[in-house]
Amino acid sequence: MNETIHIDGSLRIDAGQATSSGEKPANEDCMGLRLPEGIALTMKGVAAVIADGVSSAEAGREASESCVQSFLNDYYSTPESWSVRNSAQAVLIALNRWLYSRGHGMVEAHKGYVSTLSALILKSHTAHLFHVGDTRIHRIRDNALEQLTRDHVTQISEKDTYLSRAVGMDVRLEVDYRALELQAGDIFLLTTDGVHDFVDASTLVQRIAHGSDLEAICQDLIGIAQAAGSIDNLTCQLVRVQALPPEDANAVHRRLTQLPFPPPLEPGMKVDGHLIEKEIHASNRSQLYLVTDTESKRRLVMKTPSVNFEDDPAYIERFVMEPWIGRRVANRHVVEIVESERRQSFLYYLMEYVDGPTLRQWIDEHRQPEIVEVLAIVDQLAAGLQAFHRKETLHQDLKPENIVFDCGGVLKIVDFGSCQIAGIQEIAAPIERDHVLGTARYSAPEVRIAESAGIRSEIFSFGTLVYEMLTHELPYGEKIENANSQAAFERLKYVPSHHRNPMVPVWMDGALRTAVSIPWRRRYRELSELLYDLRHPNATFLRTSPRPLIERDPLRFWKGLALLLCAAWLTTLWFWLTP
Amino acid sequence: MARAQLPFLKLDDPKIRTLHFAWFAFFLTFVLWFNHAPLMVYIREDLALDDQQVKALLTLNVAFTIPARILVGILVDRFGPRNVFTGLLVISSFLCFGFALATNFEWLALTRGALGFVGAGFVIGIRLVSEWFPAKQVGLAQGIYGGWGNFGSAAAAMALPAIAMMVGGENGWRLAIAATGGLSLVYAFFFHRSVRNTPKGSTYFKPKKTGGLEVTSRSDFAFYIAMNVPMYAALGVLAWKLSPSNLGLLSDAATHLVIVGLVILFGFQVSQITKVNREMLKCGVPELYRYKFKQVAVLDVAYFITFGAELAMVSILPLFFLETFEEFDPIQAGLLASAFAFTNLVARPVGGWLSDRTHRRTSLSCLLAGIAIGYALLGQIEGSWPIALALFVLAICSISGQAGSGAVFAMVPLVQRRMTGQIAGMAGAYGNVGGVVFLTILSFVDYSTFFLVIAGCAAVVLLAVQLMDEPEGHIAEIREDGTVELIEVA
Repeated sequence: MNETIHIDGSLRIDAGQATSSGEKPANEDCMGLRLPEGIALTMKGVAAVIADGVSSAEAGREASESCVQSFLNDYYSTPESWSVRNSAQAVLIALNRWLYSRGHGMVEAHKGYVSTLSALILKSHTAHLFHVGDTRIHRIRDNALEQLTRDHVTQISEKDTYLSRAVGMDVRLEVDYRALELQAGDIFLLTTDGVHDFVDASTLVQRIAHGSDLEAICQDLIGIAQAAGSIDNLTCQLVRVQALPPEDANAVHRRLTQLPFPPPLEPGMKVDGHLIEKEIHASNRSQLYLVTDTESKRRLVMKTPSVNFEDDPAYIERFVMEPWIGRRVANRHVVEIVESERRQSFLYYLMEYVDGPTLRQWIDEHRQPEIVEVLAIVDQLAAGLQAFHRKETLHQDLKPENIVFDCGGVLKIVDFGSCQIAGIQEIAAPIERDHVLGTARYSAPEVRIAESAGIRSEIFSFGTLVYEMLTHELPYGEKIENANSQAAFERLKYVPSHHRNPMVPVWMDGALRTAVSIPWRRRYRELSELLYDLRHPNATFLRTSPRPLIERDPLRFWKGLALLLCAAWLTTLWFWLTP
Repeated sequence: MARAQLPFLKLDDPKIRTLHFAWFAFFLTFVLWFNHAPLMVYIREDLALDDQQVKALLTLNVAFTIPARILVGILVDRFGPRNVFTGLLVISSFLCFGFALATNFEWLALTRGALGFVGAGFVIGIRLVSEWFPAKQVGLAQGIYGGWGNFGSAAAAMALPAIAMMVGGENGWRLAIAATGGLSLVYAFFFHRSVRNTPKGSTYFKPKKTGGLEVTSRSDFAFYIAMNVPMYAALGVLAWKLSPSNLGLLSDAATHLVIVGLVILFGFQVSQITKVNREMLKCGVPELYRYKFKQVAVLDVAYFITFGAELAMVSILPLFFLETFEEFDPIQAGLLASAFAFTNLVARPVGGWLSDRTHRRTSLSCLLAGIAIGYALLGQIEGSWPIALALFVLAICSISGQAGSGAVFAMVPLVQRRMTGQIAGMAGAYGNVGGVVFLTILSFVDYSTFFLVIAGCAAVVLLAVQLMDEPEGHIAEIREDGTVELIEVA
């Protein structure tokens, strides 16, 4: 399968940059631009980075160079499915640790490898800003200059300032992040203090407005700064947005509908050299067929879209993203997407054939499961799910029907039809995307009511699954299926799992109860925390003393309190009025 | 086209079970909806109704179905098909009891009007079936659901006069009607216990815009709004019919109230339609997704004839037979009348099949021509005709009408796949409007003129159908060795 994508994120950008060591012998500034093309432009965008190695530092030059080089290289190596924010954050954390450790040999840390850093990433219709230190990013829109970053400096005396935050200064790094909407014609200016301390805003705007060659303007600005008496290194970059990615619905739709939907397939038919053996499953959204590759003789599963959605772009987008994310997640516990060299003449994709039972069947067959057995499955399931999360993707439809064992007993998560991929979500597309509400029995309340999902929503589904494996029931019973408002969810009552399966230890139930809390804030933040608590007794769950009423049932507490107050008040009134 | 198959008897398959539960529920709604028609002769005698009052009852029965469809659609979105269908069966069973206990015309009219709601049951089951069946089978499943369910009116026509006769006396009809209500009450309980809204473990997506059809150009937007006017106009005419200047069932104030209500309802619907289409009116629609609203409009008017005529016929046939041929008793009249709806079992699926296999526009045109000729002949019927000949003419009318309905619904998904539900809903509403219009016309004219009016309408619609473009699309071909290939069809 070729790697094209239906959404077009091709911003039209031109840029220029210039740097000079100025009066100083060495140039401790560093700058870098990356204007990729094709998929990288769509998925990762355009990046401009400027860094100013701290002059008090002994290795300022090396520090700023590392910042720019590593940031650009590493940012473009992050998974395509990651959001800009997550990608840049991961890169910056690593960068900071590395610079800090290199400088750690020095007597004073902030004299080591320390640098400021301002990075601008333009993706789709958004500008993402990452900033530490006193380099600056400005935006010029409608001939007005606006400084988008705040200098991280501490004023010690009238003249002296002191850099309060920089990369490599401390083991912890706080980075300012901003996301702004782009407009065609926006110009971004990145400068180091050698420039912006010496050129005023009106000059900047005027110079930039009257030039067309951005490279020349940058040179020009450096000249002006020097003339105004700048003795520092001087660096500036200009990035101009010529045109935003086309919001051309026609083009997106044409790309999405390039391949026609296959007709209903019957055993014996051949599609691109795949012989249809039988229909495995058909729902009103898709069909699954068992097929044999006539060349390699390998048995595969073919998923085809349902003609019900032939003209629904949101559905087709989802469908074409399924194999895309499947290939990127690639994990032992996630079903493998099989690529075929032959040209595809219809819209479908192929997966490895996993012939074992589903987790649903396993649950039905194991009425009295061993806790150890369940935990072994839980570990595999978690490994698969974490593979999704590492790609900043939510599976969103975890249920026993979507979990299958192969003949060797290895668990595989199937069906990526509901995935939410952060890196794709932030690319604007002229399609009204649809919201997954998940499966009623396993979806977290916030997914079904507010249509917002996160890792903690996945933990809810995961917890429900584990609970069901242990007890054959749902934590809140069948009623959860009909709950469709916040109030209805809060009325649900959790039944401790050890009431249904006495073999479940109390502390393990505590972990499950936390995982399936109705308010998402009470759940675990990460899957790993839940996994740990499922294997290690957590003392807080063993507290026998009952929790206070206000925690167990806030509504009843307040109702009771109000009633009490009302009674007291009436009594007072009565005594007061009776002579 | 691949052959779709449905193993009807595989009762351990939950979707087959759901289908059976759904069609029987729909079947019952049809029994309830038309339980008065074959018993009308007794009711007329018992309560001393005049001719106009009888016709008003028949019309009221189909009138409230029009607004009820909109309401039921909203309720299904909110509460799911299972609860709404159960609720509908329970409520209508009580309305049936109310109708059975009536002692005057006003009470009859009130309960009959309210029972019009039960006619909106179709929408609920269609939703249920489309949730449960994959695309390959859904057409067939809906055909079975619709065809077998519509058969309910035939069952009512066959069984109810017999029951009334068996019980005997002047309360026979009351018991027959109450029995249908009781049956529906009991069934509602089983339905609720056994049916689920969706297959176990299916994934939900947030439904897209609802409340109106998305059209793809400004002129189509105006066209669409204009197409909604007849629905309210039909109800307006009915209100006028019931006003003091005519039947006098409604007081002057009440008539005005109804008219104002209709205007408000129309305004509400226009605002809903505008809301759904706001984006389109502002920025237009990608050309790949444009479609012509005239396709929808033609299907609407076609269904107006095919289904509208059927509704009217099912309501009046027993009386018509009794009045035209003197040798009949009510049971025989009921049996003969049931023959009209009986053909549904076959005719509707055959209509769909014809449309799939042959040229769609031509096949629909032929069926409409059949309707026009059939009703024109029916207009000539007199008491002196041999029964066999009359039945033959009637068969032409019923079979071409029902096959026409099948052909219309075979085309509905081809207009715009993603809006199939809404287009089907609109066509269905038009079928209802047809019923109201024809029955209202009947209250002004005699039977033979009435049949000629239907024939004339069918001829006009036949012309309208010629304006429709033949639906097109990709067709995949399967070669001898089983390889699937794609052919572009212009």
